[in-house]
Amino acid sequence: MIEKTTPSRVLFNILNYGFMIFFAFICLIPIWHVVMSSLSNPRLLMASSGIVWKPLGEITTAGYELVFKNKSILTGYGNTLLYVIWNAAVGTLMTVIAGYLVSRKDYKLKVPLMLFILFTMMFSGGLIPTYMVIRSLGLINSRWVMMIPGLMNAFYITMIKSGFEQLSDSYEESAKLDGAGPMTIMFRILLPLMKANVAVVVMFTVVMQWNSWYPASIYLPAVRDYWPLQLFMREMLIQNDTAAILTNADANSAADFTSNLVKYCVVVVGTLPVLCAYPFAQKYFVTGVTLGGVKG
Amino acid sequence: MREKRESIEKQTVKAKGGRSWIHDLRMNKALYFLTIPIVLYFIVFSYAPMFGLVIAFQDYKPSRGILGSNFVGLKNFINFFTGPNFLTILRNTFAINALSLLISFPLTIVFALLLNEIRLLKFKKTVQTISYMPYFISMVVICGLVIEFCATNGVITNLLVNIFGIQRVNLLQDPKYFWWINLFSDIWQGLGYGSIIYISAISAVSHEMYEAAAIDGAGRFKRCMNITLPSITPTIVTMLVLKCGLMMSVGGDKILLLYNSSIYSTADVISTHVQRMGIENMQYGYSAAVGLFNSIVGTSLLLISNTLSRKLADTSIV
Repeated sequence: MIEKTTPSRVLFNILNYGFMIFFAFICLIPIWHVVMSSLSNPRLLMASSGIVWKPLGEITTAGYELVFKNKSILTGYGNTLLYVIWNAAVGTLMTVIAGYLVSRKDYKLKVPLMLFILFTMMFSGGLIPTYMVIRSLGLINSRWVMMIPGLMNAFYITMIKSGFEQLSDSYEESAKLDGAGPMTIMFRILLPLMKANVAVVVMFTVVMQWNSWYPASIYLPAVRDYWPLQLFMREMLIQNDTAAILTNADANSAADFTSNLVKYCVVVVGTLPVLCAYPFAQKYFVTGVTLGGVKG
Repeated sequence: MREKRESIEKQTVKAKGGRSWIHDLRMNKALYFLTIPIVLYFIVFSYAPMFGLVIAFQDYKPSRGILGSNFVGLKNFINFFTGPNFLTILRNTFAINALSLLISFPLTIVFALLLNEIRLLKFKKTVQTISYMPYFISMVVICGLVIEFCATNGVITNLLVNIFGIQRVNLLQDPKYFWWINLFSDIWQGLGYGSIIYISAISAVSHEMYEAAAIDGAGRFKRCMNITLPSITPTIVTMLVLKCGLMMSVGGDKILLLYNSSIYSTADVISTHVQRMGIENMQYGYSAAVGLFNSIVGTSLLLISNTLSRKLADTSIV
């Protein structure tokens, strides 16, 4: 399309590009601030106020050394990894099975099962009744509370269902002719054809689980050994209690200065993996959001 | 081979017409087997809590259980409605949502429209990628940064002191700033990501329409208002309905991280109230009642907005 260049057009373009640059800048500043602070001299960092544009004093990795020697943070990291991998693997598997079931045309329970699942999207018991069910199952303060209750949800199941439904029936029919059972059809024939849908579910699960803190905070109040990283971060950043985490490091004189530095280092260590990975997975998030919007 | 195919075809035909349960059970044995764990999961983690809502009508005592506790009718609800905080909590819930509906919702659409006017593809892609980024940062970190920036000598406090000459305070200790802090941090985190849905709706608009309009002499602004905006209206309405439906449930975990007792007067909302009364003070019956009230209002809002949108804009999600 050929564009006419009028003065108002030029002005609009300048403003529009200017605004976009400004907005991108606003999005990046806090992240930049954290990364630069994490490399700064802790004493200067304590004294500074405002955005840290470049590392204060000599660049130091002292904070990171403390982080990687710290038992709490390593525990948190290990737990987060466990919960993320488990939920991405087992949760996606269950979601795929559920999605497969509600996409079978020749299955009598297809419609009732779908309604049964969809209803959970419309109405939920809420926080307290759910808490009581989980407590009566003896899951409070157990590792399993992070690994069972969040495995499936109606939203991802619908996403997988529509993926199965988009595939042509002929794949399934020819597989049936060759004598394949439902498991073989699902896992060996159909699933490889819808890698993209599965990837969407895996990506969302990974990010949500990595960043999740709320369930752990109510279901794992007493056992620090099972805490995900986000809870340790909450203790440092929100409750401003670095002592609990830094006790076994050098608790005395240096801790006053380093605690501030360690905060930033923990944020970097806890956030950067996702931030670095997501541009490569971006298209899956876009697909997911679009599917979600269409489906409601 | 042919026989087998015929039998399979017969089965499919039969299934559509309705075959007997016993036959279906035999044919789809594996499917029935796989259904069991799925159904169990939803029964335990979604439906059991729904039945657990019974305690909203009880003077629930953990030691006596659901079966042994006394029914008290609507006492828990009445306690909530007549409680000293009821109006404050309700006002805060609606104010925080109304601000988001009136400001961040349209801003997201405007951002998508503006981004659509960028012709340099590389530049557009980069801005998009950067603008999605905050969404992937965890709430804990976001709130940690908000707390740091709003502290007495924080970046945002400095900015406001210098520009508007406000009194230097910790912004999160002063009730009058909370709604705005919450709103702007929401916008910062969600604007780019929220625009994805509109950007993909815009990209589906046919190019021919724009070309025809351009030939007729419509400028870019006119094309945006008369072609792009009407084309994405169904998406806008859908998102609006969803937003109304989620009004009662969204944002609680962020407020839990940000608020403190000195700003309860503007920051306490229904979901934080439920969390404090239920999990911390262990008033299970009362909090379940408040939670049920919340769900009912939320579901009604969803249904009302859905009906309205079907009547007014001919789009609906349910």
